[in-house]
Amino acid sequence: MSAGGKPLAQAFVELVAEDPEATSALAIARARLAAGRRLRSIRRVRVFELAGVLPSRAQLEALLHRSTRFYNPAKERCTVRTAEREPAPFRPEEALVLVLDRGLERRAAGERWWKHETGEKVEVREGTVWALAFEPGEDASARAGELAEVRDRRHGLLANPHFQDWRPGEGASPPWPWIERPRKRAKEDRP
Amino acid sequence: MSAARVAIVQFPGVNCEAETARALARAGLEPELVRWTRPARDLAAFDAYVLPGGFSWQDRVRAGALAAKDPMLDELAARAADGAPVLGICNGAQVLVESGLVPGNGDDVTSGPAPGAGRGEGDQVRVALARNRMPERTGYYTRWVWCRVEDSPCVFTRALEPGTLLPLPVAHGEGRFASAKKGRVAALAEAGQAPLRYAHADGALAEAFPENPNGSDAAVAALCNARGNVLALMPHPERAATLGQVSRAIGGGWGERRDRALAAGDGSAFGDGPGMAIFHGLARFFEAHP
Repeated sequence: MSAGGKPLAQAFVELVAEDPEATSALAIARARLAAGRRLRSIRRVRVFELAGVLPSRAQLEALLHRSTRFYNPAKERCTVRTAEREPAPFRPEEALVLVLDRGLERRAAGERWWKHETGEKVEVREGTVWALAFEPGEDASARAGELAEVRDRRHGLLANPHFQDWRPGEGASPPWPWIERPRKRAKEDRP
Repeated sequence: MSAARVAIVQFPGVNCEAETARALARAGLEPELVRWTRPARDLAAFDAYVLPGGFSWQDRVRAGALAAKDPMLDELAARAADGAPVLGICNGAQVLVESGLVPGNGDDVTSGPAPGAGRGEGDQVRVALARNRMPERTGYYTRWVWCRVEDSPCVFTRALEPGTLLPLPVAHGEGRFASAKKGRVAALAEAGQAPLRYAHADGALAEAFPENPNGSDAAVAALCNARGNVLALMPHPERAATLGQVSRAIGGGWGERRDRALAAGDGSAFGDGPGMAIFHGLARFFEAHP
């Protein structure tokens, strides 16, 4: 269920080939940020949350597969999660950072396409998940938090708090729901 | 007197370096391309700096985010703290904002100075150039807009009369000046740190799309530090360097001058366009500070 009590699905989309965006993020974090020195890997995964009247899992996967509004199956793989107990494409040791453009999470084009194809009204939201793995012995959650929010040239990378929100997660059990949640912090707390 | 040397700092993905160099040379300055592969210390030899438009590092992670961490930005911050002019155009503006050089720590009228402000270390990121907010559309957007010159200490515009209107092209997907701290962008504008703001053709500030093409707070098109020597400018003045480049959508005095120049067919269409005001502003700074 979504935060609004509607049926929910999460779709995690990742490039099949090596992701240049994640490669660059890893290189910069290791070279320039203290919190990134012991980073082992970074993966970038786009996540969609669909809330509303949803079809069966097989139909859901087929709809996502054939619409260019969600992903390109020639270049990306998609993992669908229809319940909290179902696995997500992350490793238990990965610390997760979900980044959202504040107030711009909804995907109107995806919602229009869904309505056109199924006749059903669903809410579509999108964010970006950064999955961070560190060398053994590192406090992954703490370091991921430091890398998440930009403060200055030496601190933070993944989200600019002046227009983005970020939410943590653990690879073993990503939050459910994750995007459609009350915001973690008040806007006025920012520097 | 030799011309001031201006480094055009190019990260991979930047694609407006050639026209920026032409505009600088046209203003009597001496531009030189400095690519990211050169040591950052090479920048110390220059008098001023321009970060041109484009897509540094393909906008990976976020527009301007990766270039902002480059050692060259530490060098630029040190030179800016010494008073050297620094201009970021479009993607260059995004880099300056992501690196904390604009608006700068000591420049935050809503919080006051912070330790280490403007000395290359500890420049806090206090605003963002966020994704455009436009009705019924998302993503990249381009059009010619009117920019109104405001009273400001900005090196690049202070020779212009406040209220002057410059038609300039914008072309971006992330150009909305925003801050998590409510009212910060407007307060910076009130303090004279917004030397250009989006306007209607009659000079009234443009709060709404499309005259304000991205939903920028307080109609801000450009933001500078308190000292006025570092400017983050979203429109592209280098694409308005000649009269003939002025869009046919632009009327008023600039439109009439363009039409006369094109009709004359005598080469006057290659005369100065509205964007040259920014580059001449830099040249005037060096005339006053040889």
